[in-house]
Amino acid sequence: MNPSLAIFLVSTLVIAATFLWVARSTSEPGAIDYARANRLRGVFGVSLGVILAIFLVLTLPRLPYPVEAAAPAHVVNVVGKQYAFSVSESPGPQSLATWEAEFSPVVEVLQGALVEFRVRTLDVNHGLGIYTPQGALLAQTQAMPGYVNRLRVQFDQPARIPRCVWNSVACRTTRCVP
Amino acid sequence: MTALANPPTATPDAYARQMTRLTLVWVAVGLVLFPILALLGLVMRTLQAGYFRATPPEWFDAVMTLHGLGMVGVWFVAGLAALSFVLSAYVRPSLTVSKLALAMTALGVILLLVATLVGRLGVGWYFLHPLPFHSTDTWPAWATGALFGALAILGVGWTLWAADILRAIAARYRLSEALGWSYLSGRTDVEAPPVVVIAWVSCIGVLAGLVAAVVILLLVAIEVIGGTAPSDALLIKNLTFYFGHMLVNITMYFGVGLVYEIMPAYTGRPWKINALVVISWNTVLALVMFAYFHHLYMDFAQPRWLQVVGQVSSYLISVPAAVVTIFSALVLVYHSQERWSLAPTLLYLGVMGWAIGGVGAMIDSTITVNQQFHNTLWVPAHFHTYYLMGVVLMILGAVYHLATALTSERRELSAARRLAVAVLRLRSGDGAGSALLGHVPPDRARHDCDGIHAGHVQPWPSVGPACRRVMVSGRPEVSVHSVRALAS
Repeated sequence: MNPSLAIFLVSTLVIAATFLWVARSTSEPGAIDYARANRLRGVFGVSLGVILAIFLVLTLPRLPYPVEAAAPAHVVNVVGKQYAFSVSESPGPQSLATWEAEFSPVVEVLQGALVEFRVRTLDVNHGLGIYTPQGALLAQTQAMPGYVNRLRVQFDQPARIPRCVWNSVACRTTRCVP
Repeated sequence: MTALANPPTATPDAYARQMTRLTLVWVAVGLVLFPILALLGLVMRTLQAGYFRATPPEWFDAVMTLHGLGMVGVWFVAGLAALSFVLSAYVRPSLTVSKLALAMTALGVILLLVATLVGRLGVGWYFLHPLPFHSTDTWPAWATGALFGALAILGVGWTLWAADILRAIAARYRLSEALGWSYLSGRTDVEAPPVVVIAWVSCIGVLAGLVAAVVILLLVAIEVIGGTAPSDALLIKNLTFYFGHMLVNITMYFGVGLVYEIMPAYTGRPWKINALVVISWNTVLALVMFAYFHHLYMDFAQPRWLQVVGQVSSYLISVPAAVVTIFSALVLVYHSQERWSLAPTLLYLGVMGWAIGGVGAMIDSTITVNQQFHNTLWVPAHFHTYYLMGVVLMILGAVYHLATALTSERRELSAARRLAVAVLRLRSGDGAGSALLGHVPPDRARHDCDGIHAGHVQPWPSVGPACRRVMVSGRPEVSVHSVRALAS
């Protein structure tokens, strides 16, 4: 099971059980010890803080954003438009008028190499996703007018790109060569 | 704003009546639109499941746009209307401004309906620039104009409404009191209740979000009408998601404010202002403005440190919510005399839904996780959990509570008369159950009372409390709750 889904399901069970337990306690009305409740609140707050700190320490060093110190082995240019992406080693289409002439259908990259996808768009914002042949998402970024978003991926298995979130009908593919 | 305030000739009773009527109109609008918009959600899922394949694909995007903008708008106005009603016990929001906001909301909704259902505008709730101007002939230019017209009208109306709430609070409380700072400094002579603090924080958030929307509209207008260079896409995306993030989160806070105010009526315990509540909501006000960065994780051009701020803020903002509000709600209910009628049940479930959906949101706000979850069903799933199972339940619970209270007030005289008769019969040994419960068969009434004493679930919860109050104390308590129970 996906770890995030497991965390969510366990948390949901704990929260639901706590709310149910508290709700059932109303069948026996009585006074509440506020001092004890506040001590418990303190324990809960510290516990939550520690859990969050642990998750921050574990996840922040693994951000997907490129670090300049590591140069990519391979650069792939991705240009989006409604409703297609061009994927090429050349700069790719520079305008909608030259799209067909400069469209590159297939790019091959080495398995295990650090590949940098430089993603831009000629019209609107697009979502770009890279999937395994089984349809599992490997990595994603978005294409934004006027900007180049740099997505770095190390392929350890064949992949196909791209996906356009806006009813993509003309996406071409790239091939990862083992 | 002064010109829009209530005329000084309006008596408190007349004001209360008009406020009640206006609140009911707002609520009616919400309750009518909600099932229609929910049905649109069902239509989208049906289309995604592969049914109705002949439906043109642009219909999905148009329905998605209407569903998203509509649902957020409906619960925003329903929440603010309910909050205004509750606030009117402490301050005096303008009825005129509320009516103006209602009229502008109606106009905005009509424009939105036309843009999406007639024009087939399919830009999503975020209408991410420059998509509205790149329709590829899917929708006409006038539909884009209608969308921006709707946003402008709704934005102005809601800005006035939120600003008026702030005005009303400021008329009674100083800034330091409305934000609870005076409480922290030891001044307790003027004590703003939690709902006032939450309303203040929320309406500042609303204004901040709507200012972002105004900037978007200005930038787009300058670009389109002025013919200038394209606006910075990253800037507009930041503004757009800041606007949407603030609007949705503030709607949540409307619901939470209602819980703070109404839940104590059912548990019999006060939920008063204290240092924790003050620190909590001031922290929320600071953090909610930075947590929106989590919407832009997949925009790699965004400065890296802003992405980190997004995750850290998203994590931190869960602390006041969980440790103060949610924990306090549980303490409020624990071993209390809570009678699980519909209103407190909805409020309580709403808090639970908020907590569960909040966990899903926190997971999604982790950048490394978001890289897998962005644009997947996780996003609408966690959003619907804390929205539909959170704030919507809170607002529905509050609305039911208010409607019950309003109905009870009308019946109070006749109910009090019935209670008096019941007391007389009780004293003359004429059978408490049948007398008190009127149409309820005596054997069933006895069962209910016994069930209450035994701590069982009450089959007729609206009858139970009055029965319990009389039977346990041995003498009748003519309280608001017992009268309301009989009246209902």
